[in-house]
Amino acid sequence: MFKTALKTVLARKLRLVSTAFAVVLGVAFMSGALVLTDTVGRSFDGLFADIFEDTDALVRSSAKLESNLENGERRPRIDAAVLATVEGADNVAKAVGFVQGYAQIVGKDGKQLGNPGAGAPTFGSSWIEDSQLNSFQLAEGIAPRGPDDVVIDKGSATKGKLVLGDKTNVLTAAGSIPVTIVGIAKFGTADSPLGASFAMFTTARAQEIVAEPGKFDSIIVRGNEGVGAQTVRDSISAVLPQGSEAVTGAQVTKENQNEIKKALAFFSTFLLIFAAIAVFVGGYIIYNTFSIIVAQRGREMALMRAIGASRKQVLGAVLIEALVVGLIAGIIGLVAGVGVAIGLKALMAALGIDIPAGSAVILPRTVIASIVVGVVVSLASAFFPARRASKVPPIAAMRSFAQDTSGRSLPRIITGVIVLGLSFASLANGLFGSGGNRLPAVGVGVLGTFVGVTILGPIIARRLSGFIGAALPRLRGMPGTLARENAMRNPKRTSTTAAALMIGVGLVGFITIFAASTKASINASLDKTFTGDFVIDASSAGSFGGLSPALTASLKKVPEVSAVSSARLLPVQMEGTNTLFAVDQSTWGDIVDVDIKSGTLAELSAVNTVAVHDEEAVKQGLKIGDTVETTFLNTGKTPLKVVAIFGDKDLAFSTYMVGLPTYDKNSAEKFDSLILINKVDTVSAADARAAVEKASAAYPLAELKDQSEYKETVAKEIDGFVNLVYALLALAVIIALFGIANALALSIFERTSELGLMRAVGMTRSQVRTMVRWESVIVALLGTLLGLTIGLFFGWALIQALKDEGINVLRIPVGQLALVTVVAAIAGVLAAIVPARRAAKLDILKAIATT
Amino acid sequence: MSTPAMQPTETRHRTGAIAARAINVVKTYGAGDTRVVALDNVTVDFPVGQFTAIMGPSGSGKSTLMHCIAGLDTVSDGRVLIGEVDLTTLKDKALTTLRRDKIGFIFQQFNLIPTLSAIENITLPSSLGGRKPDAEWLDMVIKTVGLGDRLKHRPSELSGGQQQRVAVARALAGQPEIIFADEPTGNLDSHAGAEILAFMRRAVAELGQTIVMVTHDPVAASYAGRVVFLADGKIVDEMLDPTPDRVLDRIKNLEA
Repeated sequence: MFKTALKTVLARKLRLVSTAFAVVLGVAFMSGALVLTDTVGRSFDGLFADIFEDTDALVRSSAKLESNLENGERRPRIDAAVLATVEGADNVAKAVGFVQGYAQIVGKDGKQLGNPGAGAPTFGSSWIEDSQLNSFQLAEGIAPRGPDDVVIDKGSATKGKLVLGDKTNVLTAAGSIPVTIVGIAKFGTADSPLGASFAMFTTARAQEIVAEPGKFDSIIVRGNEGVGAQTVRDSISAVLPQGSEAVTGAQVTKENQNEIKKALAFFSTFLLIFAAIAVFVGGYIIYNTFSIIVAQRGREMALMRAIGASRKQVLGAVLIEALVVGLIAGIIGLVAGVGVAIGLKALMAALGIDIPAGSAVILPRTVIASIVVGVVVSLASAFFPARRASKVPPIAAMRSFAQDTSGRSLPRIITGVIVLGLSFASLANGLFGSGGNRLPAVGVGVLGTFVGVTILGPIIARRLSGFIGAALPRLRGMPGTLARENAMRNPKRTSTTAAALMIGVGLVGFITIFAASTKASINASLDKTFTGDFVIDASSAGSFGGLSPALTASLKKVPEVSAVSSARLLPVQMEGTNTLFAVDQSTWGDIVDVDIKSGTLAELSAVNTVAVHDEEAVKQGLKIGDTVETTFLNTGKTPLKVVAIFGDKDLAFSTYMVGLPTYDKNSAEKFDSLILINKVDTVSAADARAAVEKASAAYPLAELKDQSEYKETVAKEIDGFVNLVYALLALAVIIALFGIANALALSIFERTSELGLMRAVGMTRSQVRTMVRWESVIVALLGTLLGLTIGLFFGWALIQALKDEGINVLRIPVGQLALVTVVAAIAGVLAAIVPARRAAKLDILKAIATT
Repeated sequence: MSTPAMQPTETRHRTGAIAARAINVVKTYGAGDTRVVALDNVTVDFPVGQFTAIMGPSGSGKSTLMHCIAGLDTVSDGRVLIGEVDLTTLKDKALTTLRRDKIGFIFQQFNLIPTLSAIENITLPSSLGGRKPDAEWLDMVIKTVGLGDRLKHRPSELSGGQQQRVAVARALAGQPEIIFADEPTGNLDSHAGAEILAFMRRAVAELGQTIVMVTHDPVAASYAGRVVFLADGKIVDEMLDPTPDRVLDRIKNLEA
């Protein structure tokens, strides 16, 4: 039996490969995601190991905050005086204070290098005066001596076409700093550490421009020869003042590696979700293909049963075929995954996200996962068709044709309705329930909805296909009529084929609707709350730094400007958030409709006061006069007194708002993140803009936008994400197209004699192609119609769930959805190319001889 | 299609006109040692308004001959004419159009498209050509084969005999220059078979149709006005006004 099954598989190599292909793509994407994240992970592991290779101990503040701003923990700086203490400790050979912050080198062409908002970071740091502790080694030139001296990494020197002695600028939060390049350094054998750029100054200068004078981020220590790192750490710990701590280099390495692992895990989960979608769609294709194969081989199976094969043997025979398909898919998918990893990296790069990676890392876990997923998905998908095959009664061998009538059966309707009901319940629980990680419930609900619609599909597929193809007989004559009839003749096959496409299109439709709704919601509330004329932000600097307060001060002196207000972000620990929003309390209300419910913004001028968003206030039962427990990076636990309750949610980036006095009291940083500007009414927008641009010319980080440009920036951010999702969903759509092509090819094989007859009585080859092509288009449009309906439902459901988060406008982008439909129809045409050609080339004599 | 319905019938009765003709047709398969000669220099005429049966033992080349003359297969050498048109000079598209407009087909089985109703099957060739069949003629054809009440039915709802009648009606509907029938009664019981053969004979006698039928059944052949005998790819004999017994005798001689 096993041999027979294997022979059957090998006899149909082409079909085997095309079937396996449906799963190969999904598996390849999965293994690609794993390979990519493992590769990136290993690169970072290596990077941190290199950086701290010769560091025995590191001294830092013992206070820390988990922060959203930096995607990790943040610590306050320590006093520079600690350095002397550390130097005096036992076993310490060398101790160096270190600071690092945002800085961007300006290249020869006047443009800043790198894009820290969406790529490798750009650093400014102190040059470590110890060749062992410093991970950089000078390749040319000398270490920085004076305040204008800078050493840059070789990678930046090459990219910026900068050579020794060049004068250029370095952008920092403190402004544009003129520098002279005195040295070019390499990071080990690399030109730069994973693409990050470095501008390294003397310690004093670095403190001034990227950090804070008199403070260090950390002190790195090299112990005496032959003394263990732990001993060095312990002897330092013994002398350290309160508020600081010493750890070994190995521990810092580990902490950094873990931090990156966490970030990568998020990234890899994101990618794996799309891999799962692709694998899921692949499963549909396997299911459909095996269903068709089993139906076509019904007589063959019945014959086997008639001559004595048991049900189990028939079941086994089909499952063996599925197993071979799965194995092939798993192995090819694994190998292709390496290519996918390269492709994903390129895709991210194309979207402006540069990920550093060395040579591909393929862990045993990736190998096992690929093969297991390939095999399990194939077996699970083929199980139902296989069981159906095993149920073929031996007598069917004598019958001419067995009609599959399960397409419209009552059990199908009942099962479908139950599955849909449960899915909706899970979806509702995930979206509207409370507590815990509710994402899995949403995922189950989404997949279940697709499955439910697939189960119910055959019931409506016949009528829907007829509806979609209604105009075809008039448009395309007899071939059109036949295309429509062919799409309608086997509703189960048509609907399963379409369902595979439905998934991809459904998610595309959903994300399109959701993005449009989000944009519409944000625009609507920006219209309401942001009455200002211009915004300046420093988004290109990424999460580092910001704008010098001097800019706000000079803007206030511009005669064309009537009002200026600035805002800042601060990492904190508070109930419900870890970001605090600080505003210039005296001017913010002039430009923004804060929607004060009680109290006044002006009261924020008192130190350690706070305004709370009304929903948060209700949640915690906070009233005016209550205190909110807050932990600041620099000042630790501090109670803030509630002086106002506000309703705006769009220009307040947190549920808590403080005034500048509270900010200044508790923060070491003094940077603005956002500046809002109103022009004088009598001045034209163009004149005001020119004046503001002139005033901010000295601050290259400042990006001036008017209201509509600001909306565009917000929209662009959403579009960027949506485009990434589109690109990742494209895979699911492509797999579905292969599914359509596969099903068409199998149908054509089944209809060989019919095609032969039609050719004999006068159907031209081009008419055959037309017929096949339009059947494909009907199937594609059916999938699109179902998908968009589901997408619309998901979009509506999510917006109901996010109403309280400020996304409350349901916007259906008709034009975009129409475009999706047109693209799907074209995709249907593409999917039909090969099957149509094969059908047209059919040998008439052989075809009419086939029964 | 402004020609009155019955006019083709009259023109076809011109004596001596030839509907189809094979001239020195050679058909070989393979090359070298494996070369098989299926048709060996066959020359045969099918006059207008005649019902011709092609007979011969299996492997004699009778089906191949029909396929070549009907434009379903290509010849290795020689010429095939349908009316004045030399099929051997035509490309696939022209050949297909010619089959659609000038030739009718009746096969042994799988004659109908399962997704189309009886009437849609009957008018399939003309709808493929984007034309409406001549209504009067169509009415008459449908009446002749007696399908009036089953026209909206799909093939699966028709008996084998009814299906073949639909196939005959399809062949007749387009008023083709010639109809080729390949074992048209092969899958039918004798009663239904006799019915179909009677229709075909009436189509020739009353409507002036030209029919060429391949069969191995002497009874079926006896419905024809002329029988052509084939053996080893060559035409070996011919018989006019056949009866089943005479045909059977001749076949026995051929096989002996």
